[in-house]
Amino acid sequence: MTIQKTMIYALTSVALATPIFAEYPERAIELTIPAGAGGGTDTSARKLAILLEEALGTSIAVLNVGGGGGSVGASQFMQAKPDGYSLFATWNSPLTTVPQVQNVAYSLDSFTPIASTSETAYTLCIKTDFPATDGAGFLAELEANPGKYTYGNDGIGGTMQLAAERIFQAKGIDAVPIPFGGAGETLQNFLGGHVDIYGGSISTVLPYVESGEAACPIVTSAADVAALPNASGLDALGMGDKETLLWRAILGPKDMDPAIVAKLADVIESSVNDPSYVEFLATKGEVPNIVKGDDLGARLQAEFDGLAEVSKSLGLSN
Amino acid sequence: MEFYTQALSKVLTVWPIVAMIGATLLGVFIGALPGLNPVMAIALLLPLTYSMDPLVALAMVSGIYNGSMYGGAIPAILLRIPGTPASIATTFDGFPMADKGEAAKALKIACWSSAVGGIASAIALMTVGPLLARVTLFFGPAEYFWIAIFGMASVGVMVGSDPAKGVMAAVLGLLIGTIGIDNLSGQARYTFDQTWLLGGLDLIVVLVGLYALPPVLQLAEKCDLKGLSAAQLKLTNVPFKPGERRKLIPTWLRSSGIGISVGILPGAGGNIAAFLSYNAAKNASDDPESFGKGNPQGVAAAECGNNADNAASMIPALSLGIPGNVVAALVLSALTIHGLQPGPQLFHQNPVLVGGFMMEMLITSLLIFLLGGAVATRVFAQFQRLPGVLLVPSILILMCVGVYVINGRPVDLWVMLLAGIAGYFLEKLNVPLAPIILGMILGPMAEQSVRRALLISRGDATELLTRPLSAALAIATLLIITWPIVKAMRNKRAGAEI
Amino acid sequence: MERRQDIVLGLIFMGLGAAAAWMATSYTGASGIYPMVLSIILALLGATVVLKAVRAGTTSERKLVDGPAQMLVTIVLGIVYVALIVPLGFYPASFLLMLALPIALGYRRGLYALIVAAVFMGIIYLVFSLLLEKPLPRGALPSLVGLGG
Repeated sequence: MTIQKTMIYALTSVALATPIFAEYPERAIELTIPAGAGGGTDTSARKLAILLEEALGTSIAVLNVGGGGGSVGASQFMQAKPDGYSLFATWNSPLTTVPQVQNVAYSLDSFTPIASTSETAYTLCIKTDFPATDGAGFLAELEANPGKYTYGNDGIGGTMQLAAERIFQAKGIDAVPIPFGGAGETLQNFLGGHVDIYGGSISTVLPYVESGEAACPIVTSAADVAALPNASGLDALGMGDKETLLWRAILGPKDMDPAIVAKLADVIESSVNDPSYVEFLATKGEVPNIVKGDDLGARLQAEFDGLAEVSKSLGLSN
Repeated sequence: MEFYTQALSKVLTVWPIVAMIGATLLGVFIGALPGLNPVMAIALLLPLTYSMDPLVALAMVSGIYNGSMYGGAIPAILLRIPGTPASIATTFDGFPMADKGEAAKALKIACWSSAVGGIASAIALMTVGPLLARVTLFFGPAEYFWIAIFGMASVGVMVGSDPAKGVMAAVLGLLIGTIGIDNLSGQARYTFDQTWLLGGLDLIVVLVGLYALPPVLQLAEKCDLKGLSAAQLKLTNVPFKPGERRKLIPTWLRSSGIGISVGILPGAGGNIAAFLSYNAAKNASDDPESFGKGNPQGVAAAECGNNADNAASMIPALSLGIPGNVVAALVLSALTIHGLQPGPQLFHQNPVLVGGFMMEMLITSLLIFLLGGAVATRVFAQFQRLPGVLLVPSILILMCVGVYVINGRPVDLWVMLLAGIAGYFLEKLNVPLAPIILGMILGPMAEQSVRRALLISRGDATELLTRPLSAALAIATLLIITWPIVKAMRNKRAGAEI
Repeated sequence: MERRQDIVLGLIFMGLGAAAAWMATSYTGASGIYPMVLSIILALLGATVVLKAVRAGTTSERKLVDGPAQMLVTIVLGIVYVALIVPLGFYPASFLLMLALPIALGYRRGLYALIVAAVFMGIIYLVFSLLLEKPLPRGALPSLVGLGG
């Protein structure tokens, strides 16, 4: 393109007051995932990327940058150009939990919230020989035996641990957290009897609940979860305000063009609501949950503040 | 067993067969290029397969997985550059063989050993796997600690002439392994306030630098302007001499056993299977001194061990729903997308699909027999016909592109260069490089498991030794460390009596 | 030669161990013990290497670098190449290296080098950019030119 043409193009763009990115997207988009391949965030994002490719008419290259509980990927992505060709598919932990326990270079202001995609609750499960079966009894047993029970979780200061500790704090419970590398590893140690309580995602433990080997008395969402009919939601236990969820979202770097954000948010919304994606989410025990733009920013801020309180009283925060 | 015949009839149709052949070839290439790894290729491929017949998708996974484990041996033998971390042990004897002009033979042994290991592993997956899977649950953090220490003991065979330097290299590797956020306390260690270091140094980045740069620099020093002619390559097919294959059988059996046992333990990591197999072969040999100098048994042990890990690593994933490594996690997510629920009921939900996948793991191992040798000699060995001075920039570029695409950050290239220059001098100073990588692999596992075990036992260290299984593993570790010493002493005494 | 090399090597590892141990003192609780122990062992092993070298009576010849000129040229060009990947873009920088390094090492058949470079870069493009769709550095130049459209 000659300079002249460029000038004319730029001028007309300004004159028409339409953004210069009217034809967005015109080349491939790079999607950073702050976790390794094969995990929950990775599969959800890759599956969604296929639908987005179709809807946007461009290809999406996925880059996995794992490590530091997501902070490595988030820090690296923060430096990307806000031109709409660099997107970030994450779960909530790197943004709202990790900054509480690690010294990270980013804050919520380092990103442009675009849209959240799906959500699910965490659960706490026990073997059938545990002296209690329902949610209230489970908490009472823990409360009566401080320091006796160990529970596996997804890593120190991770969202899963904070979700559990929020409940434990409210009840004055003292249980010993044992951090593992992920829900699969926690399940392995729970089934082998090395830890007393499984703490992690629902989909991982679900087959063992169905086979009767494990029972889940509690989920960390306010409402009950259909997949675990015997588990109490926090509303039923009178602690609805202690809800902590695992949810996923797509963000951009700071200062993105609002027109692109709006366009992307709409495309993400229709792709997430695509029947094939809803069905895919259901197999993992997740439900679509779309919060767009500034509302998403507010949601992140609220969660950040809530978790800051918990981690401070746990002595985890830096 | 009826479903196996049913599964077989589904697998032996056009598309799964095409997929298996194509993916095995692709896998060999991926394994042979340093920096590229099967995880990357499978992660990229799987989403495309969501709308595909699951047996075709899984055919591709098994082909890439099995093919790449063998592919890593090709540059390990020809250039002393391991294509994957699991093929480091292949360089120990593979490159000396190539140096003696036996490259074709080494490749052939690698090909056969990979295929044998893969087949043994697939058979284990189809038969005893589901029964053994429950047993692995008895392995808790205390047991994993001993497995890591057991793996570290195999450093003994790599230390070379100067034990102090060998152990020093291993400790350096362990220390590098501590870089990043500590998973158990959230403490950042040795990160120098660099966010990219929070996740630690990437094993592949260090491996490519440490292992690929020194041979490249040596190639440059030779300043070869002409390249080898076809005759000098000596890559004509060398048939096995009578009895030669029979001599490898004990090694194959031993290495398959080791690979399967390591593979079945979730998270133990296939990278150590080759090291353990190599160690065992050397310990069992009448002539341990010949290892490291081009002993075919060394190549057979390493390659058989790393392929025997593959199908076995699917056992906990398919029978318990616990993915032992990233490839297994990817397979599970693929099955989920096709409507299956990983867990103990998986096999009953769709025996034809799960059985079919097991069949494919077996068939792609068989394919290595047919395709592996041809790919190695027809394609890769031809690179050596290029003048060395052209090969130098080519390998450099391959290293850089492979390292860059892992995390998409330029700083990894500098890490690689630095590791490479350090590796070049360390090697010249008789400091072995393999213990560094082994330390990086096993260090985090050893530290995290011991600390987890102590958290669970509320700080009581005796539990590391008093649980029946942990005690047995501790004794086994002690034996593997003392065995070479005992053997050496016995040989000396036997020599004195004569 | 060999003695002096080993003494330097041992000293470097002693220094590494000491520095790592010093840093480990600031790490909280259990997360500091393990690296601390490792660092001390590393420093002790370094000291062992030094002692052994000092005690060794004889010293044999051991050349550190066989072809210093070629090695230096390769390392320097390698460093320049890595430094140029981001500003120039991966493909232009790699193409330059494919031509510059052989020439610097004394290769004189320019046309052959050019053909090999073109074929090789073609294969890389096919595998990484088309097949694997991996984003590689595009360079500052094309994005400056491409800003307008």
